[in-house]
Amino acid sequence: MDAYLIAMLVFAGFYALMALGLNVIWGLTGMVNLGLVGFFALGAYASALLTTKLFWPMPLGWAAGAVVAAAAGAVMALIVARLRGDYLAIVTLGFAEVIRLTASNEIWLTNGTDGISGIPGPWRGDVSPPEFNLIYLGIVWTAVAVVFVLLARLSHSPFGRVLRAIREDEDVAAVAGKPVLWFKVRAFTIGAAVLGGAGALYAHYNAYIAPDGFAPLLTIYIVLALTAGGVGAMRGAIIGALFVIALLESTRFLSAIIPGVSPVQKAALREGAIALSLILLLRFRPQGLIPEKTRTKAFP
Amino acid sequence: MMQTTIGRRGALLGAAAAFSSFAIGGRAFSQTTPVVFGALPPLTGAGGPYGPAMLRAAQGVVEAANSAGGIKGRQIRLAFEDDQTNPDAGVRGARKLIDVDRVQALMGTWASSVTTAVAPLCWENRVPLFTVSGADSITLLPHQGHIFRTQPNSRLQIETASKWLLGKGAKRVFHMAAQSPFAQSSQDVMTATLGAAGGAVSGYIVYERDKTAFRSEVDTIMKSNSDTVMLNGYLPDVTILLRELYRAGFDGRRFTFAYAAPASVFGTLPNEVTNGLTTFQPSPDLNSPAFTRLKAAFGSTEVDPYSAQVHDHATMAILAAAQGGDATGSVIRDNVRKICQGDGEKVDNVTDGLRLIAAGRAVNFEGASGPCEFDERGDIRGTKFRYEIAEGGAYRVLELV
Repeated sequence: MDAYLIAMLVFAGFYALMALGLNVIWGLTGMVNLGLVGFFALGAYASALLTTKLFWPMPLGWAAGAVVAAAAGAVMALIVARLRGDYLAIVTLGFAEVIRLTASNEIWLTNGTDGISGIPGPWRGDVSPPEFNLIYLGIVWTAVAVVFVLLARLSHSPFGRVLRAIREDEDVAAVAGKPVLWFKVRAFTIGAAVLGGAGALYAHYNAYIAPDGFAPLLTIYIVLALTAGGVGAMRGAIIGALFVIALLESTRFLSAIIPGVSPVQKAALREGAIALSLILLLRFRPQGLIPEKTRTKAFP
Repeated sequence: MMQTTIGRRGALLGAAAAFSSFAIGGRAFSQTTPVVFGALPPLTGAGGPYGPAMLRAAQGVVEAANSAGGIKGRQIRLAFEDDQTNPDAGVRGARKLIDVDRVQALMGTWASSVTTAVAPLCWENRVPLFTVSGADSITLLPHQGHIFRTQPNSRLQIETASKWLLGKGAKRVFHMAAQSPFAQSSQDVMTATLGAAGGAVSGYIVYERDKTAFRSEVDTIMKSNSDTVMLNGYLPDVTILLRELYRAGFDGRRFTFAYAAPASVFGTLPNEVTNGLTTFQPSPDLNSPAFTRLKAAFGSTEVDPYSAQVHDHATMAILAAAQGGDATGSVIRDNVRKICQGDGEKVDNVTDGLRLIAAGRAVNFEGASGPCEFDERGDIRGTKFRYEIAEGGAYRVLELV
């Protein structure tokens, strides 16, 4: 049981990192990004390839994952500069699919749908699986803590206030003399870097990545995590990620104790229960568990 | 006000968590330590049509073993999780099975990506993994003997199919492949096998499996002057391809894997579209006693190759544990080959197997999917292949070789 809970907390850490990354782009700046799994995949592939093919040390691989995703984020932000709302959502969703299809087809680089296996993990093999889990738990939640502090500072800084102004009304921000595009590009880059870093960490924890793992399902989980936690608030992103993992995993046990239903019905009930909880949450608490406070102090 | 609302929510959530952990604790310690095996079939997602029957097959074996007294008097519990045909969800499900249920063997993973993602967890925790996934790369993983695959790998399947087509006079075969781990390796094997006997692959298209129209692809097939088209895809796309090939008036042989056109295809396509469609599959041994018994147990439900294989997974895990005298993962891993190959007495079901092992006799299990013999990498040997043709809304067996 302990090992399982620790593994799920590690997963929650990945989700929290992704929710934090998305929060900069969507929560603060108001740019809908349904392509977050694409940046996550870029980070994962970059780090996996650099460490397995060029034998880079892992921390460098993780950094490279963040840098590659950040670069893609910057380019993406320039391309979509004029798009808002639904159009932006569609384009970013398309971006993630392009990444996934590229990973499926460029077999010389990514090994196609077979995926990349045997990605090294810190001390994996030298320590027992439970110890490895604990080590990774430390790494992931340290990363969450560092990213949280940095992003919370950022969101309460003048820079963060400009991002929020852009979210509320781009034209007003522009009239106030703020270079809107430049701010958007930087926000997208920072968010994508966090997403890429999360992907890199994920690859080394799982030891295996394949295009199938970067399906839109994951994007939906993270968007839900952020919505549940509270869009805009950095604490909300972390609470939301924990909430989504708790929901995904607790439904396993709850569906198991319902008597008289077949396994298939249990699986369907489980998915239904997840959907229902989120609908109820959005219906009765649309601002999320931790709503954003817009009148901010200089420190979180 | 806001503070109290959050507090109440937190309290509710905490209560729910406490309640569920209580429930888990009760499950883990309530019985006199049954042996736990885990099944991780796809109950939802792309594998959804197969998972439920696979799980049912395993449950049937466990019930039979329990009524025969279990493993050395210990009852067996089958825990299961839905892998959602997704590697991320599969890993979380496997974590739960291995860490919470403490399963001693895992069986029934279907999608190759799920199997590859779950495999490291299995060998790190010394849990043998029985799988029906076909990707060649799976048994090449450093699995230290923990993987047993009852599905012949894709290379062997395609080679066998190509030779059969040659025997039926096929000269120009068009290869339509859904994007999958075995699209390219299938193409290589087909080119080599057909080429060596004077045939040829007349065209090769890899398509995205979520496509809903294949107009240009079908035009290419029509132009290629092929006598056979090999539909190397999955049920949703193959259904559309069959319809469009019919509309375009393709009169050659349409050949596909049985999993891509199970009997349910007759419900979605009219008979004139499906008539003449030839399917092949690594066949369960249709005439074996194990298969006949499984078929009787399934009643009106069709026994597909995957459920036959998972039936054998569960039987092998139970017999190996009984043979080794201890139901731990390592013991099961080391004893699988002792109970399914060699000179032992032939058995085809778990009840007889348990009885003979208890009597100290050597057994050789021959299952519903075939003789169940594994090479040193964990790949199955000596599987039969079955060819069927669709006629008037039903399949007729052409050959079992």
